[in-house]
Amino acid sequence: MAAAVRRVLWLSGVSGAARARPGAQTLRLICTSTAVQNRSHIPGPPVYTQDFIKEQTEEFNLGKRHLANMMGEDPETFTQEDIDDPKELFPSKSVCQWGEDGRPFHFLFYTGSQSYYSLLHEIYAKLLRIQKYEDEMRAQGSFPGTGNELKLIGSRWLIKEELEEMLLDKLSDQDYSLCIRLLERLVASPCSGIEEEYMAKFRRGYVVQVQRFMNEPLQYDEQGVAFSTGEGKRKTARATVIVYDNGSGKITVNGVHYIHYFPILQDREQLMFPAQFLDRLGKLDMVCTVSGGGRSSQAGAIRLAIARALTSFSTKNEVECMRQAGLLTSDPRLKERKKPGQEGARRKFTWKKR
Amino acid sequence: IVNQDVQIAEEKPRAIFRTSESNPANHTEQHDCQHYSIPLEEVKVIFPHGLPRRFKEQIETFKEACLMVRKPAVELFGYLKSTNFAQPAIRYVLYGESGTGKTMTLCHAVHYCAKQGWLVLHIPDAHLLVKNCKQLLQSSYKTERIDQPLQASAWLKNFRTSNEHLLREIKTQQKYTWNKWDSTEEGRPLVEMVEQGITRMKTATDVVGAVLKELKRQCSLGSFKLLVAVDGVNAFWGKTTLRKRDKTLVSPEELALVHNLRKMVMNDWSGGAIVTTICQTGSVFKPRLAYLPHELLGDEGFSALEPFVPIQVPKYSEKEFESCYQYYLDRKWLQHEKGEICAREPRVCTNCSAFSSISISGAKKVSPAPFTPFLPVYSKKKEKKTKPFCFSKQKKNLTTKL
Repeated sequence: MAAAVRRVLWLSGVSGAARARPGAQTLRLICTSTAVQNRSHIPGPPVYTQDFIKEQTEEFNLGKRHLANMMGEDPETFTQEDIDDPKELFPSKSVCQWGEDGRPFHFLFYTGSQSYYSLLHEIYAKLLRIQKYEDEMRAQGSFPGTGNELKLIGSRWLIKEELEEMLLDKLSDQDYSLCIRLLERLVASPCSGIEEEYMAKFRRGYVVQVQRFMNEPLQYDEQGVAFSTGEGKRKTARATVIVYDNGSGKITVNGVHYIHYFPILQDREQLMFPAQFLDRLGKLDMVCTVSGGGRSSQAGAIRLAIARALTSFSTKNEVECMRQAGLLTSDPRLKERKKPGQEGARRKFTWKKR
Repeated sequence: IVNQDVQIAEEKPRAIFRTSESNPANHTEQHDCQHYSIPLEEVKVIFPHGLPRRFKEQIETFKEACLMVRKPAVELFGYLKSTNFAQPAIRYVLYGESGTGKTMTLCHAVHYCAKQGWLVLHIPDAHLLVKNCKQLLQSSYKTERIDQPLQASAWLKNFRTSNEHLLREIKTQQKYTWNKWDSTEEGRPLVEMVEQGITRMKTATDVVGAVLKELKRQCSLGSFKLLVAVDGVNAFWGKTTLRKRDKTLVSPEELALVHNLRKMVMNDWSGGAIVTTICQTGSVFKPRLAYLPHELLGDEGFSALEPFVPIQVPKYSEKEFESCYQYYLDRKWLQHEKGEICAREPRVCTNCSAFSSISISGAKKVSPAPFTPFLPVYSKKKEKKTKPFCFSKQKKNLTTKL
């Protein structure tokens, strides 16, 4: 109040001083700021306030019941398969941020991104609260434990696009990383359990990957030895492998022992990798047939086929480990097409200055 | 107490991979799968040119030359000990898949004979005579034959290093005229002839021929015992990659060195033995998986070498693999646990041939070069020969460089 009064007096003082000096040239103000200009006669961008959306939702519900009646279905359990939700039709945009006098509502309007900075202020306020709480706890003598890691497992922070959506404000990468760092700091303090709900707004759970657990059962041949088959491909090579249990680590490729078929060490390593990964190197026998491709792609195809065959011999955890190691993924790389005007797929013709 | 027992049990198998018996004459089946070391001075004298490249690198790395005593070698020594020197020389052919240790067995036999005082005629790799020879001269002795002065003089140098003391004692039995200015009188020590060949490269091939003739003649008299050790004897019968000036292929008989060495490998002399290996690795125009004598020698070679005693050199057995592995552990070549664990696995997977036991997946990243007996590290980098800049006749190349 006192500050406002002082401000008014200062203004009047300025104007009084201007009038008191007769000889001074009165400076005519040519350009004015947008806040001073009155532009209320110009219609602004279409604004969808909360009330407007509420009205629309009520109308929508009424309309839905009418439509249900018309279609002869039960209005209570009418689904929205063919009807658009008003929330999607009228997306939330930022509301007009200044009043009729041109004065902005929010104190941080002039920062440019008011919602972002106000969020930062909020988070910092929470941090101070947590620190105060921690000090109180320590004064009482009870040291809080760390129980936050469990809540953080299985979720991730918002990505930049999601944060922009939340704040209705464009962010730069540095802004986003600053926000995340502040949140991390919030989480790092031991007493942050009190602000769990607030933090949960910024966390999203991981979408669990739908795993096609290829649980093919083991087959048994005449002697009762368990075996399983697998197929694999890499570039142009196609391979099929039959893996037998109770073996001695012998691998036969197209009827030839693998030392003779693959004289290069690198190829034999590829063949051995799946078995070595599951610690079953000397316990399995493999009979492979492969065609097409070159030396390296044949080895890669057989490796994939072996890994797929081994899924029948291993537990779900082992299969998950193999999948994460990349043993069960087919390598999608193929030879890139040669383009016209270039010598190869990427190589250009020699550039000659003249 | 249980821990002590376990430690003692672990120490015992580790000690078995070495033997202190350094004289190959005393190697028996009792020393099977054990490593014995050759003193480095002896290596310089006996093996100026015989050892495989990777084994030489291993000697440099470990500062000792350790050979494993294996069954084929012991068998060969048994035959050599019981040779009747009055009878014509018996030919022994060591054969086996590539990388199983034929050359090393041959080197073991050379060491044995050198220790016994035999004169050793060691041709390290006969394939080098029939391919990639730079200088070919028309022979002055017989015009249809071709000389190889570089190979001949290099071989003569090494031959002199290994057998100097014996060559001083052997005298020539006829006069040899090399050209207008040089000749060797009768009764001169063979060393002089050899030196003549080293200094005058043009006559080197003829000197080799003369030396071989002399040795063959005098060996039958019984003053010394001769061992002819040829590595890759299948090179003598087959094809070469050399071409004459008129771009026609050279056949092996046209090479004077090969012609003389073929005569040496015949069993028409007595007082020694002929130990050979047949090798696919350096051979010319032979299928990769061929290793049997008939496949590699061909009809011509087989009938020329017949009758011979074939000795197969198999891949490493479990015991030999274990011994080799313990040796590397002892020399601290396998340092990482993972390398050690991975070492045990391929023994089962790869059927352990000496070279084929290289297939280990994780160990490659962990320890530099496991399980080759001959380690490809610490090799001196060959200095790259820079071609002198010359204006090329093809203008196209110049424009692309711009």
